[in-house]
Amino acid sequence: MSVAGEERKLVEMAWDPVTRIIGNLGIYTKIDFKNREVVECRSTSSLFRGYSVFMKGKDPRDAGFITSRICGICGDNHTTCSIYAQNMAYGIKNPVLAEYIVNLGEAAEYMFDHAIFQDNLVFVDFCERMVKETNPSLLEKAERTPAPHAHIHGFRTIADLMRSFNPFVGETYREALQMSRLTREMFCLMEGRHVHPSTLYPGGVGTVASPQVFTDYQSRLLEFMDFVKRMVPMNDDVFDFFYEALPGYEEVGRRRVMLGCWGAFQDPDVVDYRYEHMTDWGRAMYVTPGIVLDGELITTDLVEINLGMRILLGSSYYDDWEEEEMFVERDPLGNPVHRRHPWNQTTLPRPQKRDLEGGNYSWVMSPRWYQQQTGDHLALDTGGGPLARLWSTALAGLVDTPWVTATGHSVKIRLPRSRRFPETELEWKIPRWANTLERDRARAYFVAYAAAMAVHFLARALDRVQQGDVKVFQEFAVPDEAIGCGFHEAVRGVLSHHLVIRDGKIANYHPYPPTPWNASPRDSFGTPGPYEDACQGLPIFEENGEADFKGIDIMRTVRSFDPCLPCGVHMYSGKAKILERRHSPMLGSFSPPGDRRHP
Amino acid sequence: MKKTTSPLTVGKPDVRPSLPSHVPGVREGNQPGSLKRSDGIVDHGTHAVATGRRSTGLNAREREPIDPRMPKLTPP
Repeated sequence: MSVAGEERKLVEMAWDPVTRIIGNLGIYTKIDFKNREVVECRSTSSLFRGYSVFMKGKDPRDAGFITSRICGICGDNHTTCSIYAQNMAYGIKNPVLAEYIVNLGEAAEYMFDHAIFQDNLVFVDFCERMVKETNPSLLEKAERTPAPHAHIHGFRTIADLMRSFNPFVGETYREALQMSRLTREMFCLMEGRHVHPSTLYPGGVGTVASPQVFTDYQSRLLEFMDFVKRMVPMNDDVFDFFYEALPGYEEVGRRRVMLGCWGAFQDPDVVDYRYEHMTDWGRAMYVTPGIVLDGELITTDLVEINLGMRILLGSSYYDDWEEEEMFVERDPLGNPVHRRHPWNQTTLPRPQKRDLEGGNYSWVMSPRWYQQQTGDHLALDTGGGPLARLWSTALAGLVDTPWVTATGHSVKIRLPRSRRFPETELEWKIPRWANTLERDRARAYFVAYAAAMAVHFLARALDRVQQGDVKVFQEFAVPDEAIGCGFHEAVRGVLSHHLVIRDGKIANYHPYPPTPWNASPRDSFGTPGPYEDACQGLPIFEENGEADFKGIDIMRTVRSFDPCLPCGVHMYSGKAKILERRHSPMLGSFSPPGDRRHP
Repeated sequence: MKKTTSPLTVGKPDVRPSLPSHVPGVREGNQPGSLKRSDGIVDHGTHAVATGRRSTGLNAREREPIDPRMPKLTPP
């Protein structure tokens, strides 16, 4: 949709902060209303990520408890990842039963977080009241379109489905809230407390592996199964309707397929947390780590993934660390480790004024993955988490359990019989695009994936308990000098923790959650980050004109990545100017006219 | 550890982050030998089993399963 040789009239539009997400994300765009296209986009964060600064000098055993506080919704992913990194540093592995307990807790977290984000936050962008305000003719069509899976979810038309998404009053919205309580209970049974676990430590867990704890989990899981079996076809119906009713909608939020997944759910029979064996135990994970480029899986090797990580600056408020200390020159296999790798990073914050025109404009750095064959620094995204996880797992074809099977082109998910529905098989097929709707669709399927894997882990764990195993903890001594790295999947995508221990204390610690990857600004090569890339060139389908523009297509795109900006700490800003102008696509009646910004 | 300089203006610290979080003499839960000292757990390396002592401190030896082949389940 580029318009060459013609003067374009660009209108600046800003959404800062973006609502219904966590943290301070600002999206600054230039829109060509005549040609209905977003021409330029910049994503900014006014949060400073300071964990790497204040972790230095602390007892490494505290790392899991401290880094959990990075996030108020996926803190346990950080604890788990930190434990993986610490286990490597201490040279230990969790007992089998402990590993299943961690896997069950993490599965509950995926079910909880994806379901609440999809049904209570994402679906507000697709609900009847929102569509009525942004695309009235689409709603009219939805009223006349029968829902293909009405016999499963019970909503006759697509408009009925959209009405069930209405916040606070819609049936799906309210049911999802109840389900979030159930899944949190499941989580707490395994990890003690949501969202900062109290029973997860390096070397194992403090959860007492009694038969009761597993059966309590199981009864809740089966109740949740009924919800999953209705939710997945519901998602398919809505997203298929958008493709059909708005031809060209596949271009919304579309970017080159450049997905990263760092793997989840360790296989306790294979994992030993030794760096030397990381390739093998990485591939044995029940969500296969991998990098998908243009639809091809270019690696599933965690060692290669680890060594390719580069943290670039370019538009971020930091000084470079080129002159600082190198902590790890070679990995335990003897491979050279780059200066821009998290193991060798030193965070040097440099607060400054935001400059969106060619200067620095974000506290987020620009993590990239260096592809050795081409020499490119790839701005990988996570597809909101599930898209990358399912894509990588499907292509690798390594996961083969009674409940989840990767076929090489799809992922088959079997869900056991539950109260209202018989045994059900779902199949997530690799989509043609990495776009807004596919990121959202994958989220629903990954809830089913996590539920099915939980059935598998439960059976294996109960089997061990019934044989009389009670071991959930492995003792260890903290070494004076060690390094470690942990790879996991936070709910919204890749998560890594890199740790260096000296004198028994933390000498360097760098957590890299998904949002720095997704929300990164332009790097030192000028490559835009994934949010920016996905929004630039985005066609506008909203029927509103410039005067009452809500930016719904942009918001759907940004939210499809499941943005989560609190991976840092608030910085004291002294007497800084308080920004009061904002523009958020709130529901009309709640949004006073003064709240809108129309430059 | 090399100390890095930061351009951030910060207040006077009220803690010393380099203070040891462990007081010498106090037993650490993670230290080798902890499992052996845990009452009612017999460690076998890759797995561990419970004894009646895990459920009660009173006449624990009288509270073992009737049949030694039975699993000694952890109390809820």
